[in-house]
Amino acid sequence: MISSKKANTQTSLNKEKLERELMTGKEAGLVLCTECHSIHHYISQVDLQCSRCGADLHQRKPNSLNRTWALLISSMILFIPANILTIMNVVYFGQDDPSTIIGGVILLLQMGSYSVAFVVFVASVLVPVFKMIGILMILLSLKYQINITDRQRIRMFRFIEFIGRWSMLDIFVISILAALVNINGVAVITAGNAATAFGCVVVLTMLAASSFDTRLLWDYNVAETNNCQQELEISHNE
Amino acid sequence: MHVIGVYPINSKILLCHECDLLIQNQEIAEGSKLECPRCGHVLYRQKHNTISKTLAYTITALFCFYPAVTESIMTLNMSGLSQQQSLLGGARVLMQEQYYLVAILTFMSSLLVPLLRLLLLFYVTLSISVNYYHSSLFWSFRLYHHIEEWGMLDVYMLGIIVSVVKLLSMAEIQPGFGLWAYAGLLLTSILATTSLNHHEVWSLLLKKKLLTKKSSGSNKQEICQ
Repeated sequence: MISSKKANTQTSLNKEKLERELMTGKEAGLVLCTECHSIHHYISQVDLQCSRCGADLHQRKPNSLNRTWALLISSMILFIPANILTIMNVVYFGQDDPSTIIGGVILLLQMGSYSVAFVVFVASVLVPVFKMIGILMILLSLKYQINITDRQRIRMFRFIEFIGRWSMLDIFVISILAALVNINGVAVITAGNAATAFGCVVVLTMLAASSFDTRLLWDYNVAETNNCQQELEISHNE
Repeated sequence: MHVIGVYPINSKILLCHECDLLIQNQEIAEGSKLECPRCGHVLYRQKHNTISKTLAYTITALFCFYPAVTESIMTLNMSGLSQQQSLLGGARVLMQEQYYLVAILTFMSSLLVPLLRLLLLFYVTLSISVNYYHSSLFWSFRLYHHIEEWGMLDVYMLGIIVSVVKLLSMAEIQPGFGLWAYAGLLLTSILATTSLNHHEVWSLLLKKKLLTKKSSGSNKQEICQ
């Protein structure tokens, strides 16, 4: 405990020191291997390879913004059939009962299991919507230089990356139900076309998040950080 | 376009993954972490006994894997009829119903990727602890990171719970042995990932690489490390 506290104070001391000497790796002519965290000297116009692990080296992910836009727009388009078509069809004693994503949540609410209804609602409706709007906001703020602070943007992005996988929940539930409930004549559950569309939405949004290079968020704000640096220097001199 | 391999420069500086800030490396105590001062990204955590702990958890997880996949997750009793299904069987049923994409997604993220990650981690940690070196270790550990977010054991577990609740109104449910094995697999694989210190593994791998190169005498390039 004591040692970790000591380390924390050391880190905070270092923070003060670092804020006076802000410099990115790109400005210093360095490139980070995103695979094995080693740092190399950057040589422009040559395909570089990490000597330690063999990965390709790029100062920024190539075509990061274009890729993210493309994946985001396709996921938005697929989100429409995912919500309109039936995601699951329950045949219970010969009676068909197809349901959409929202329909499934309402059914759970009627059954009285509010907590599970809430979890499913969050995972299959809120999370994808939040993800798509969040990535869109980050991309638009980069394009039109809207003032959101970097901390807010990176927090939002981290949150998006973290929650992304959890929207697979509905797909898993359907695959478990379809596999388990398969007693002919009594109850049969089959997956619907919306399941495929929704699966695509989840995969595409995950790919969009992973193709986005977070370091771009700071590149667009170099002027701002320079101002901060000058202010810090002035206050330090005073 | 020609490709040039460049050697890593010294370990006294670090670059932040998320904002590319140049940071001075420093010794930190075990159990503490180093954060980026600008964006708050955790650069690395110093962990106690990382290799042997990870190896132990990985072996346990691999033991759990077989029953988790082949034994039945739950048994369904419905008006006198009963049905049980395992993870592997579930994927097969979806394939038969011709929902290929859903089947592949489920199979990949609940079975294939977790298994592959465990095997890769087992290979890397075991070779480090028995002092074995082969160049495939590097791409193995790289692949391990690449497929990280596609392994969704935890989401699948939540999926099982939600589907049990959905089925409760229709039928009686009994948990099978596969469910307990699955819970064990989930727990041990989470422990294996959290006890792993990537930085240490990479630096150990580099040391091994340099040692083998020196002993074979094939390469005379100097490395400023």
